[in-house]
Amino acid sequence: MKLEVLNDRWAFEPPPTRSIACDAPVTACAFARNGAAAFALGDGRVRIVPADRAVDPPSDSQPLHKGVVLSLIADPAADGFISGGDDGRILQIDPDGKAVELADHRGKWIDRLSGHDKSGTFAAVAGRSAMIYGRDRQVRELGPHASTVADFDFSPDGGRIATTHYNGVTVWNLKEATQAPRQFMWKGSHLRVRWSPDTKFIATATQENDIHVWRLAQSTDMRMQGYPVKVRSLSWSADARWLFTASQPAFTAWPFAGKGPEGKPPLQFGEEGAGLMTVVLCHPREDYVAGGWDSGELQVGDFKQRRAGVLKLADKSPISCLAWSPDGRRIAAGNEDGMAFLIEIRR
Amino acid sequence: MSQVPVTVLTGFLGAGKTTLLNRILTEHHGKKYAVVINEFGELGVDNDLVVNADEEIFEMNNGCICCTVRGDLIRILAGLMKRKDKFDGILIETTGLADPAPVAQTFFTDDDVRQRTKLDAIVTVVDARHFLEHVDDGEEAEEQVAFADVILLNKVDIVDEKQLATVEERIRKINPYAKLYRTTKSNIELSQILDRGAFDLQRILEIEPHFLHHHHDHHHEEEVGSLSFTAERPIDPDRFQRWMGELLQRKGPDIFRCKGILDVQGAPRRYVFQGVHMLMDSDWGNPWKDSDKRASKLVFIGRDLDREALKQGFESCQI
Repeated sequence: MKLEVLNDRWAFEPPPTRSIACDAPVTACAFARNGAAAFALGDGRVRIVPADRAVDPPSDSQPLHKGVVLSLIADPAADGFISGGDDGRILQIDPDGKAVELADHRGKWIDRLSGHDKSGTFAAVAGRSAMIYGRDRQVRELGPHASTVADFDFSPDGGRIATTHYNGVTVWNLKEATQAPRQFMWKGSHLRVRWSPDTKFIATATQENDIHVWRLAQSTDMRMQGYPVKVRSLSWSADARWLFTASQPAFTAWPFAGKGPEGKPPLQFGEEGAGLMTVVLCHPREDYVAGGWDSGELQVGDFKQRRAGVLKLADKSPISCLAWSPDGRRIAAGNEDGMAFLIEIRR
Repeated sequence: MSQVPVTVLTGFLGAGKTTLLNRILTEHHGKKYAVVINEFGELGVDNDLVVNADEEIFEMNNGCICCTVRGDLIRILAGLMKRKDKFDGILIETTGLADPAPVAQTFFTDDDVRQRTKLDAIVTVVDARHFLEHVDDGEEAEEQVAFADVILLNKVDIVDEKQLATVEERIRKINPYAKLYRTTKSNIELSQILDRGAFDLQRILEIEPHFLHHHHDHHHEEEVGSLSFTAERPIDPDRFQRWMGELLQRKGPDIFRCKGILDVQGAPRRYVFQGVHMLMDSDWGNPWKDSDKRASKLVFIGRDLDREALKQGFESCQI
């Protein structure tokens, strides 16, 4: 199976794209299990776009959150979405846009959500704790940690969760509640964490513009430096051979096949976009990667062939979010000026 | 991208910070301000524009021992910038015992914060009745005054003129450069405290102290105070960089604020800089006019400053 996207002509002739004016900064986007896309907005609304164009989209005129919707994911246990806001609430949103409140952590900002499809579990950050919601929506609190949880990620099998905070990463075992969490320490503030799909590595992005990676079996770690700003986004390829990192002018990935990246330069390919990449996200299964730039440019890359095509030209508004549809055929993206994009990569 | 000005509000518990914030949130001034309060603070108003911060200070890994930043603020400021309705300004209240440095340093070190917001000024509210006790009890009251660009000497209605004069003299000894206003119930024109541009290099036009009395030049050890130096001959930029770099490396933890306007040899424009502890911003400022008397001026506010060593060091940077 091949994506047609990597035809060079795309640099001049973009693929079919729906542009949706949302009238508020787009803060997050996601595709639900049924293929519907949703965009979280800076005025409390969530805009749902059904997969089938013949289906009327639900009205989005009513804000679901008071304030900014800071995070949005597909509901791993049903069609629909889960959202978190700076009003401290976590909402379960059905395909018609109706919301049920799952939690109200007033005074805290729910700025990270992540789901695990197979187990139907999702997690949210609420201050110094991570809250785990099972398929039955029973809640379990992990924490409080010594400092605010900045991000977290499920292990590929959903059995563990890695939280990141000041001075490192904590790995919690979700199946053995009595087991003490395992600590991986490195001084400084860790802002993003991504677990490799082969379970072997945990990567973080730090306040000091570095990437830190722990090799779990040996408890050894490594550091990648040379980024001009904080690395805002990390994404492992589905085969765990590459760790893609934003905050560079072009697609940039560290090689984790074989003996790992020590002593090797990162892979860089594609045209340098204007400015720096803000978001990077690998295809859920294949050797493709999508990137968004602070100049507004969107590209999709093929890391086997080491080339990339432009999906959307720069327009000065930074890309704030990206998502791949579950079937890997569409990309959703949003920008800070309030435009949402749905791009059909393959019909 | 336009940057939202951020005002930092410091002062001891009970000095009048909350009164001031309540006024800013409730008065009809036609502007929209977000207020970040500390976790212990309580405002009398229920307002969407109030954010509760859980002060989290951490050290940077950049080898600079005094370089601590507020991680919670980095998150909060990024979140506020995602709102649909933009702000005219943001106020950050610190806890009564807070050292203002980590807040200020956050604006020097974080890319995202720098891109979207700018530190406007540090405003310190001083309780006229209790200030001298607070200074004697610990360091924070002194540091908060030392860091200030604007000082509200508050509760002047409940102390007599003699005590006011004593308190003012003590404040001026620590920091003769800040604007000082006497207030009752924190009543002040908002334009006097907001949008001051105190950290804006292009607005460092001159550095003139506001002395109450004659200049005092005896400094006791461990005392918080200020020193200023003038150089008549042009400055050699390489020598200055070397001296300043070495000085901040060694004495950075004791230097709270520094500011300078330099007459760099051969340069048509003023060289301006300002810093907090070891972090410094610099740029070229206004051009020198023919009618200007070219000279360089340097100001330090800090603890246990060695006047002789600083004077000699600065003089050795002259051509």
